[in-house]
Amino acid sequence: MKRTFLFSAISAVSAVAVLSAADTPSRTRRHVETLASTRLEGRLAGSNGEKLASDYLVEQLRKMGAKPLPGQRDFRLPFEFTAGTKDGGSTIAGAREMPGGARALSFSDNGDVTGPVVFAGYGIVVPESQDFGYDSYATLDVKDKIVLVLRYFPEDADQKTRGILARYADLRYKAMAARQHGAKALVVVTGPRSPNAGELAPMTFDTALAGSGIAAISVTGAVGQALFAGTGKTLEESQKALDSANPHVAGFELSGVTARVHAAVVREKRTGNNVVAYLPATVPVTTLAKPWVAIGAHYDHLGHGEAGNTLADNADANKIHFGADDNASGSSAVLDIAATLAKQPRRRNVLVGFWSGEELGLIGSAAFASAPPLPLDSLAAYLNFDMVGRMQDNKLTVQATGTSPAWAKLIEQTNIAAGFDLLLQTDPYQPTDVSTFNSSSVPCLSFFTGTHADYHKPSDTADKIDYEDLDRVADFAAAIVRRLEDTADAPQFTKVEQQTQPGVGRAGTRIFTGTIPDYSTDVKGLLLSGVIGGGPAEQSGLQKGDVIVEIAGLTIANIYDYMYALDALKIGQPAKLVYLRQGRRVETMLTPAARK
Amino acid sequence: MSVLRTAIVTAVLVVPVVSQQPASYQERDFLTRVRRLTVEGRRAGEGYWSPDGKRLVFESEREPGNPFFQIYVLDLSTGETTRVSPGLGKTTCPFFRPGTDEIEFASTHADPKSKQYQDEELAFRASGKERRYAWDYDPEMDIYAYNEKTKAMRRLTTARGYDAEGSYSPDGQWIVFTSMRDAYNRTLSDAEKKQLETDPSYFAEIYIMRADGSGQTRLTTANGYDGGPFFTQDGKKIVWRRFDEKGLIADVWMMNPDGTDQRQITDFGSMSWAPYMHPSGQYIIFASNKLGFENFELFMVDAAGTKEPVRVTYSDGFDGLPVPSPDGKQLAWTSSRSGGAAGQLFLAQWNHEKALEAIRTAPPRKPSKK
Repeated sequence: MKRTFLFSAISAVSAVAVLSAADTPSRTRRHVETLASTRLEGRLAGSNGEKLASDYLVEQLRKMGAKPLPGQRDFRLPFEFTAGTKDGGSTIAGAREMPGGARALSFSDNGDVTGPVVFAGYGIVVPESQDFGYDSYATLDVKDKIVLVLRYFPEDADQKTRGILARYADLRYKAMAARQHGAKALVVVTGPRSPNAGELAPMTFDTALAGSGIAAISVTGAVGQALFAGTGKTLEESQKALDSANPHVAGFELSGVTARVHAAVVREKRTGNNVVAYLPATVPVTTLAKPWVAIGAHYDHLGHGEAGNTLADNADANKIHFGADDNASGSSAVLDIAATLAKQPRRRNVLVGFWSGEELGLIGSAAFASAPPLPLDSLAAYLNFDMVGRMQDNKLTVQATGTSPAWAKLIEQTNIAAGFDLLLQTDPYQPTDVSTFNSSSVPCLSFFTGTHADYHKPSDTADKIDYEDLDRVADFAAAIVRRLEDTADAPQFTKVEQQTQPGVGRAGTRIFTGTIPDYSTDVKGLLLSGVIGGGPAEQSGLQKGDVIVEIAGLTIANIYDYMYALDALKIGQPAKLVYLRQGRRVETMLTPAARK
Repeated sequence: MSVLRTAIVTAVLVVPVVSQQPASYQERDFLTRVRRLTVEGRRAGEGYWSPDGKRLVFESEREPGNPFFQIYVLDLSTGETTRVSPGLGKTTCPFFRPGTDEIEFASTHADPKSKQYQDEELAFRASGKERRYAWDYDPEMDIYAYNEKTKAMRRLTTARGYDAEGSYSPDGQWIVFTSMRDAYNRTLSDAEKKQLETDPSYFAEIYIMRADGSGQTRLTTANGYDGGPFFTQDGKKIVWRRFDEKGLIADVWMMNPDGTDQRQITDFGSMSWAPYMHPSGQYIIFASNKLGFENFELFMVDAAGTKEPVRVTYSDGFDGLPVPSPDGKQLAWTSSRSGGAAGQLFLAQWNHEKALEAIRTAPPRKPSKK
């Protein structure tokens, strides 16, 4: 499973070993043990381990008689992606000396821009649809100029205002706003009144193949001050005037100041491979409007953790992240389902997909969906498997059930024989490939047995997989596919409204609370599967099993409410937090820390 | 049977939380391989076994045009679900008739206003409002027998007043049921009229009739809601629950099918209802809010009622309406453990040996303070 902002708070929880009997005959054990072996080195997208994993998948697909997709010669469908970015010597220069230097933002275009410099405050534009009225560019002409903005959002704003502005304070969003106003370059400075004052913004992991259409760099505080020199104003005073978030405090042109920005990002390109096959229908499908059913799982993982999405402790850093549950388990389930279906008559074609690059941001499935080898509207449904090897108490979570009204009945019928204690989640906007197919209007489901202490750590190993129940999940899903093959009318697609605004980044991640949310339940509030040792949550007495229901006066019904509420908090300022422990309401104070 | 849920969620009462069982049992000691049987629709529950243990008949809200319960048969070998009730109006409390193709249930479909009520409820829900679950003891509710082969429906009761909560004797010859006809077949005092407006269940009594609807005979006369009767597997006893006059405290009772030898089994100082005898005849499983007014859990008690009840379920939310399979090895019940307020049907393996052990070691019954 991909680690998104939702997962960024997860860290060390004591490992619980789940031992499986070594002599259990299991159809999936061999697959998991192979994919999660040392030889495959954690299957990082674009690595040799990924190549070896795809070899194994291809061999298994051949064995069961699956074929490359119509019109394709190979099971492997390669895609190019950016495996990492680094600064290629970005600079800023002007009439005065610019001490301390510059660093490109990871999404910057490469290029040189010379022009007058306009200070645009925090560079935040709240869309008119929000009916809030905050536009840093309202009185400014920045066309063909260089825009200097402050990082983050006004520091002294009231809670509600912070909550709104924070949503539009992501650097990528600020770059888009600058570009839309005609600016040629964006220069970001961390203001003297902000956390991490004067520091360069780190280059975040970014997998985009190209830049964002504007040169964008961050500069040190000293450079920021130097740009103000001779204007009769200072950066600190200017920030202070803006920090109340008064929408009438405007930016201004730094009169007489011109600068030359050299932005250089080095993107390391790599090639990943989706492995996609199909089992042709055994009867003619010409009468069917949607003659395909698809199953899939990502087979890549984190390698040695070099892409920055590891949760390993320092002692375990750089070790192989085996990814047995994430997602050798899902890949093995898909292999097993395909092998089962291969032996039976099929009334629809079955597409079998193994996606790479999921851990880097659903890149593989997105590449597949953006240039699909067959029309995606010919898919009756897509079933996704991500982390299905750690079942507890017979509980199986089925996500994305809101994508079709047909699911409830189909799942009910099939589960009578399978016998799981099902938890259903309607939301298809999950941090896994199901989200890609939902975006393509394909009715879909995603199967999940829950998070655990070994998530995104080297300790996610094959010996901890519950193979008996992994086989059961595969049987259950194979039965669902059989029913989908046999029904003349494909499930209708229903669009589920997304609960957060797409495309808008979050500056809220500068807040660190040390909570580890549990994603596998429908509990009202935010159920914690743990807290990070020494973090603010632990210090305020929170522990695993607690349900956060209120923070700083805002009620929390789900993870999205929680993320919004975090936007409104101030680093270092205690906020009242209410949680449920065994049904009892408990109040505490939580003091958020700064995330670096 | 279901019907009680009403009182449960509407009345206001604080039952003191009493210390839990001394023995350290957990849910998994009695229930294993817990699985959720129903997914479709808003709610489902009250699953009763076919005599061969291969099917369940239950009630569920799952038809687009009808916001009320209808009756469905679930085939446990195929997963297929078939509606057996008319689809119109409200229904409740189904039961398979042993040795036949018949299923009894209660229905209001003969009421000409049924469709109007459906539309009103749908409009109310569409307005975004939400009411708490409440059972209205519709006086138009009557008991029918539906034949699965011929699809024919036979009306068994006609009396004005709620007739429902029926179940067959093991030989299929008798139906024991609940009726509120006593509120309509005589002149009520002013106090009784007021009572009928606020809580009609006060008038509910247990009746018995032949399977063809003849010989309807009243078995209980105590004030307060007598309801939810079931035969024991040997056909020699009827188990039911009796409420006090205020409708706040209920206990499990047993009697002979002719109404004699009425005996109180539990004295649990809480709302204890939906009792069902395990086929071994050794203990009764029931639901109680002993541990908190809205926290219903399953309990069990020895058939003679000499011991303190033993707690069976330990999950958040509602657990009630337990029905053991005919072989005694499985338990079907209704639970909201998967989230949300509405219940769904669940099934688990039942550990009979462990249940016997827990009952054997339970302390003797303590009289509740009244």
